[in-house]
Amino acid sequence: MEVERVSGLKFHKKQDVAIVGAGMTTFKRRLNETGKELSFLAIKQALEEADMDLSDIEMVVMGSAPDAFDGLHMKGEYLLDGSGGSDRPYMRVFVGGGTGVFAPIAGYWHVASGLADVCLVVCEEKMSSCMPHPQSAFKYIWDPILDRPLAPNLIWIFALEMNRYMHVHNIKHEDIALVSVKNKANALDHPCAQLAEKITVEDVLNSEPMALPVRRLDVSPPSDGAAALIMVAPHIARQVTDNPVWVTGVGWALDTTMWTNRDLYFPRYVAEAAKMAYRMAHITDPRKEIDVAEPYDPFDYKELHHMEGLGLAKKGEAPILTREGVTARDGDLPCSPSGGLLGVGNPIAATMGVKAGELYWQLAYRAGKRQVAKEVTTGVCQAWGDLMQVGTVMVMSNKR
Amino acid sequence: MFNEKIIDPAELRHWGGKIELYWIYTSGEAGDRFFKALKDEDKFIAAKCKKCGKVFFPPRMYCEFDFSETEYVEVSGEGCVRAFTVAKLDKNEKPLEKPEIYAIIDIDGTDGCMIHLLREVEPEEVQIGMKVKPVLKDKAEREGKITDILYFKPS
Repeated sequence: MEVERVSGLKFHKKQDVAIVGAGMTTFKRRLNETGKELSFLAIKQALEEADMDLSDIEMVVMGSAPDAFDGLHMKGEYLLDGSGGSDRPYMRVFVGGGTGVFAPIAGYWHVASGLADVCLVVCEEKMSSCMPHPQSAFKYIWDPILDRPLAPNLIWIFALEMNRYMHVHNIKHEDIALVSVKNKANALDHPCAQLAEKITVEDVLNSEPMALPVRRLDVSPPSDGAAALIMVAPHIARQVTDNPVWVTGVGWALDTTMWTNRDLYFPRYVAEAAKMAYRMAHITDPRKEIDVAEPYDPFDYKELHHMEGLGLAKKGEAPILTREGVTARDGDLPCSPSGGLLGVGNPIAATMGVKAGELYWQLAYRAGKRQVAKEVTTGVCQAWGDLMQVGTVMVMSNKR
Repeated sequence: MFNEKIIDPAELRHWGGKIELYWIYTSGEAGDRFFKALKDEDKFIAAKCKKCGKVFFPPRMYCEFDFSETEYVEVSGEGCVRAFTVAKLDKNEKPLEKPEIYAIIDIDGTDGCMIHLLREVEPEEVQIGMKVKPVLKDKAEREGKITDILYFKPS
């Protein structure tokens, strides 16, 4: 990927933006707590890490995906009191699965614009409320006239996309399964993980077929959870921490709604979003300049797909890098060191905790047992969603 | 250009659609305690913020204003009318056989209110500030729901 160098006033901002605290709940089926209570628990942790009180928070951004999961229209307003939003400017953003990185992007513009010096970003998803299965809610994202009468299931799209990706680059399922093996093993070191386990490529290939080529262990699980981030202006960052992590670039883009008309084998929406974020971060060669990545991995092939969209691998090269161990936690380009959605769980918007949250922890050297082996300065995290067509990207650095 | 004169959808190719989902809502750490105490012990639970002292009713596990933890306290469940309306139409705008009085009730000893029905009182007798108390279902019939309180009546 080639990214042009940008100079002058493009992407001008009022002030730099740092992340100084993050928190997340365990990801699992959580029937007991309400979405408000989950949000509260995640925010408490983030405030503690940032050594702040709720009274220090000026504005709040809430990220939560479809209302259909919780079964409440105007879910953002419903979640307000557990999100620390009472009596202050508060907004909900949502771009489906892309929300986990889009919500911190919204937090970024709150601070970068100078409107707020301290912005809390919280993401929540409670999928277990939705019956007969969270999957049922996805039926209603389809075009009611062209797609819905065929009774599709969301896994179909991914199966078609995975099939096309494998065909165009002649990739074997074995190579794709390695991502699931890696991420679920990485998740063994994550205290919030739902599906951490040591598995083998054979386990993936022999798991229950869902919509071929997609099998059960190629997929992340539905989950409940919340995550939070505290984003601040430089003068606040200096007061509360010695290790702020700076947001150096943000980007987002959407491909056409007609998913059938897309390339399928290459996520253009991610590439466009990544170029915007890299231009802002003055990154011209992502393969050399990115030290650690959290590409969105709701499916194993999706991590590979997204690495290519992010310009971290050439088209069709991501499976080779994975096979060679480059993306392992001790590799040259660690990908999903958190354990990702495949290992930690996939409470849609709340995956902010394993994408933007994990990248912050890695760059602040606060990832504990999950800390990658190499020295890290700059990283990228990404999410994907809406009607499978939005890419959301954030670049962070521990150097300003 | 505009199709506003087509009022019969049968003139166009058209499709019916329904969103067929249902949900299981839980009431959370604090809500669960509230409903179980109401169902099994005839008690009304509120939650007091350990920092600012605000008392939330129904209870919550956190104070929404300073994110401190709360402690559970028992209250009487009685209160007074803060506002009321006499509803003549139901939720689908069909006339009600008998008008219902809906009131916001300030619960004694708390900073919280709840919406509920007022009965055993005529609409013209209701006054703001009027003292009211809850009437509960028979214990055997209670389900741990807000409708375990049948209505409020003047006390």
